[in-house]
Amino acid sequence: MKLHRISTAVLAAATTLALAACGGAAPDDSSGGGGFTAEPAEGGTVHVLQNADFSYLDPARGWDGGVNNFYRLVYRQLTTSAPGSSENPTEIVPDLAESLGEASDDGLTWTYTLKDGLKFDNGDPITSAEVKFGISRAWDPQIGIGSPYLKQVIDAPKGYEGPYKSGDLPTIETPDAKTVVFHLIKPFPEFDAVLSQVNATPFPVDSGAGDEFIHELIASGPYKLAEYVPGSTIKLTRNENWDPATDEVRAAKPDGWEFTIGLDPATIGERLIAGQGADVNAIAGNIQPATLPRLQTPQLKERVLEFPGICTTYMGLNTTKKPLDDVRVRQAISYAIDRTTIVNASGGTQLGAPSTTILPASVAGHKDFDLYPSQDGTGDVEAAKKLLDEAGLSDGFTMTLDIRAQESMQAQAEAVQQALERVGITVELNLIDTSTYYETIGTPSQQHDAAITGWCPDWASSAATFIPPLFDGRNIYEKGNGNLAQINDPEINERIDEIGAMTDIDAANVQWGDLDEQILELAPIVPLMVAKGVTLPGENVTGLFSSANAATGGIDYVGVGLKDPEKG
Amino acid sequence: MMPSQTDLTAGTVAQSGGAGGTWRALRHDVGAMLGLGYIALVTLVAVFAPVLTSISGWTPYEFDQSAIDPDLGGMPIGAWGGMGAEHWLGVEPGSGRDIFARIVYGARVSMSIALSATALTTVLGVSLGLVAGYFGGRVDLVVSRVMDFLMAFPALIFMIAVLSALPASNRSGLLVVVISVFGWPYLARIVRGQTMSLAQREFVEAARAAGASGTRIVFREILPNLRSTIIVMATLAVPGYIGTEAGLSFLGVGVVPPAPSWGQMIAASVKWYAVDPAYFVVPGVCLFLLVLSFTVLGDRLRAVVDAQEGR
Amino acid sequence: MLRFLVTRVMSGLVVLLLVCLFTYLVFFALSPDPAVQICGKNCTPEVIDQIRGNLGLDQPFSTQFFLFVVGIFAGRTYGEGASAVDCAAPCLGYSFQSSQAVWDMIVQRLPVSATIAIGAAVLWLLAGVVGGLLSAVKEGTFLDRFTTGLTLTSMSIPNYVLALVLQYVLVVQLQWLPFPQAVAFADDPVQWFLNFVMPWIVLAIGYAAAYTRLTRANVLDVLRENYVRTAYAKGLPQSLIWRRHALRPALTPVVTIFGMDFAGLLGGALITETVFGINGVGKMAADSIARNDQPVIMGVTLLAGFLVVVGNIVVDVVYSAIDPRVRVNA
Repeated sequence: MKLHRISTAVLAAATTLALAACGGAAPDDSSGGGGFTAEPAEGGTVHVLQNADFSYLDPARGWDGGVNNFYRLVYRQLTTSAPGSSENPTEIVPDLAESLGEASDDGLTWTYTLKDGLKFDNGDPITSAEVKFGISRAWDPQIGIGSPYLKQVIDAPKGYEGPYKSGDLPTIETPDAKTVVFHLIKPFPEFDAVLSQVNATPFPVDSGAGDEFIHELIASGPYKLAEYVPGSTIKLTRNENWDPATDEVRAAKPDGWEFTIGLDPATIGERLIAGQGADVNAIAGNIQPATLPRLQTPQLKERVLEFPGICTTYMGLNTTKKPLDDVRVRQAISYAIDRTTIVNASGGTQLGAPSTTILPASVAGHKDFDLYPSQDGTGDVEAAKKLLDEAGLSDGFTMTLDIRAQESMQAQAEAVQQALERVGITVELNLIDTSTYYETIGTPSQQHDAAITGWCPDWASSAATFIPPLFDGRNIYEKGNGNLAQINDPEINERIDEIGAMTDIDAANVQWGDLDEQILELAPIVPLMVAKGVTLPGENVTGLFSSANAATGGIDYVGVGLKDPEKG
Repeated sequence: MMPSQTDLTAGTVAQSGGAGGTWRALRHDVGAMLGLGYIALVTLVAVFAPVLTSISGWTPYEFDQSAIDPDLGGMPIGAWGGMGAEHWLGVEPGSGRDIFARIVYGARVSMSIALSATALTTVLGVSLGLVAGYFGGRVDLVVSRVMDFLMAFPALIFMIAVLSALPASNRSGLLVVVISVFGWPYLARIVRGQTMSLAQREFVEAARAAGASGTRIVFREILPNLRSTIIVMATLAVPGYIGTEAGLSFLGVGVVPPAPSWGQMIAASVKWYAVDPAYFVVPGVCLFLLVLSFTVLGDRLRAVVDAQEGR
Repeated sequence: MLRFLVTRVMSGLVVLLLVCLFTYLVFFALSPDPAVQICGKNCTPEVIDQIRGNLGLDQPFSTQFFLFVVGIFAGRTYGEGASAVDCAAPCLGYSFQSSQAVWDMIVQRLPVSATIAIGAAVLWLLAGVVGGLLSAVKEGTFLDRFTTGLTLTSMSIPNYVLALVLQYVLVVQLQWLPFPQAVAFADDPVQWFLNFVMPWIVLAIGYAAAYTRLTRANVLDVLRENYVRTAYAKGLPQSLIWRRHALRPALTPVVTIFGMDFAGLLGGALITETVFGINGVGKMAADSIARNDQPVIMGVTLLAGFLVVVGNIVVDVVYSAIDPRVRVNA
């Protein structure tokens, strides 16, 4: 459900990452001026310019591409994603724990041992009790609204509602101050990845009730909160109680961070281009399509940093509606779609690549195929018409496409409209307010025939967080439904269970790729494109590596620093 | 937010007769005639939009991928936003849609919304103003309070909130209604004031003595005397509504895509103004000239009417 | 005078209550269930019910409205137990999306909006009154025609277009000014001025044009009045006539309009703040609309209504002090 909370700007900023399995996370470093990957110097303040505010400071509540990366500066978990600069940045590595979890033979019990010298920013030690307490917050009905994986995987008494309402969570054991033992509902080979979710952050026992963590936070990472003005600024300073010796993931070179929020995206672009004053120390999310043509001077071209994408933009076809319940009609739409116009409407080839598969190339398990090929990806009108003829719809039909009232999505929808008109399908656009869009399309009783949306993996080391949430027929909910196509195919469901249980992740990934193809034969969705990341970091910023897991493919904050801390 | 509405109260326009006289005076005013000319042009363009686009060869919705550069963010190929024989006013970045066609069809939206809102405002403002001014007493009290209330209301915030919350199926109609609801008091206030003074005049007294009913007096005796005021006020209101529609579209709560409107075109072009100024300039200038034309026309009309009144 | 004041305040209160009721009614009918929004992703019907209970959403409209109005004067507490949140008086509601009392959010941003409004007001009053006077004195001359043309043109440029053009020219191309940000005066007066000057200009230009025309029209009207003609006929010096007889009556309408315009702006310049990305009340309103954060939209609407009503009362009082006839008519 990751995309559900990614706001417009963050989505645009949800840039992208380096190839998971292939290593080589470092972007092209051949450009002059020290490049993007030079070792940063100690000190200085990194500025981040962004449009949207963070959803929540509380990691049990927040869970989206924008805020997860921020959490990484102030919070730690038992495990986390490797830094963007590592060989394999999608790998899950130990963080507070000494090593990854030890699973019992039945795969139901996982044991972790904490490192020594771990402290919160108030100086209190982080022990197994705090880890357990922090994790148990995920069960609170009002606070635990973030990542669902802890609750889905860890066993808990029926009706458990978090530490504030139900008290201690007995199914997480803490035999001593350094050991945490988890019991799972059913075997989950990727449990290390589950504990790297942001809501597995430790907190002092009994803290964080009600709205305590709305404007404050208790840091376990290298930085602590210095100032927070909602909708405007967040300032972080060094957490003196964080011991670098315990942390192999976070380089944390700068002395502080300053997030400026609420800036117009165009203004952000202008400021980065101009690079006045402290803006030389600034980074931001994706630049806008209109800014691209301005980056053609050699000086600016050199500063452009690009990442491949990890999120698929797709059009879900509601298989419960006529005539979309006919697989031939869905296949016809898959043939008719013109991905060139969609990519161009989204900012052209620099900001997006057409996608014919569910899994993006940068997510482990990706298999390259195109079931509905066409010349230059502009759509095969003849093949589509033939299928419609077979379905008895030679005269076409009218369908309603739900879209978010946001410019780039409208542009994509208009491109879909134009493409389908060629085969006689009239697409009516149903514009839905940004704030209620996901709620509406996630409610089967309210969704129309089709909707354009996107999906990013919650961890990119496998397709386990990509395929099941979107295509498991047993996960069709009345509200908050992610299976937009409402497809419930026994064969797909069975394959999902089989692959999910495999302990050999690499072998599982090959199978996910095959399942991707198997699903698209039924055409419940039409993959449209994968948005790419193009950013323009300030010229004094370095240590810029992308991370699929920590930053949804964007810049992993933990390695970022300044070339010259005195500048700006 | 809407200084032009402030301006409506600037000089009060008094009753006077002689539409023919007004027209004769206006005909010699270059500014007014230029404004009227431009308004007529836009109206013609709006009416004959399908004819014009069939000549130019592009509908407002057709994509033209050959006119944009996919490697440069979808920027139009060629100078001046891709202006040339194929696309007279260039193309829209990202899609390659023809700007001439979109301007022509956008004129329909801008004009029809502004004119409908003006018509509705005028009907509401005039009738309520007349009723409040003539009958006075409790009717006046209620109408005046409602006017106070609406004028104290932060209309812009409210309009955006309401428009974004309501389903977008018929945005144009909704725009007209919302604009009118907040617009009529500005006219009603002036109509009310003038009605009050007219009600004391001899010819009204005479009609009353002759046994005419209240409604008859209001609509047969008083209303004709307010004609020029209403025409001037309405003309001056149009640019405000055009601007409001464009502003609401700019803020993303205007007409539903893919229908083109000038405000929405400006909103979309804002990001591109640095690299594709033509995309910004074309709808910007069209809108600016239309607003200016109505403003100048209304201004001159008022001057002429004032002069006729003998000041 | 006291009686006049009381009447005005009473009718102002009625208007405010109406604004309140109307806003509440519309949002009550329109907005999506706030409980569902707060509930977030992994929501269950039980949780929604619980939140509805906390917010009092399960109660009928009249009760909810009553609680809201009482909250403004007495403050209120949402929910019970560990998850209870306090909202001190004046409680204009509580934003569960940003977990803050609406009043606190407004107070945080009001200084910025006030800075913008005051600066712009100074500019437009100066420009408007001076321009209008000059134009009236030189009626029919080139200067007058030029001013008229200029005002008509300025009134016809949408302020967002002007804002963007200014930003492009002054900041991006010439680099004379920084990208506007809310800088505190105490921190750095020069930066403060440089950051706010563009918003001031953008906001002021439309009003300046309107005020120029208003002043011009009023001055010309007054100069045609009999007593002024008489004064001229008596051979009084022009400067004296102007000072004693023309200026005050010509400028009183300006004061009236100014009170309303200025009060309206204090509640936030939505477009200007949004275009420049300045975190004032107006931008907060725009953001809240985008997020459908109903309590904030309502709070800002009420505040803006309140300011206009208060502005009106102040104007009326000032007016009646200047011109005693008003009191009688009221």
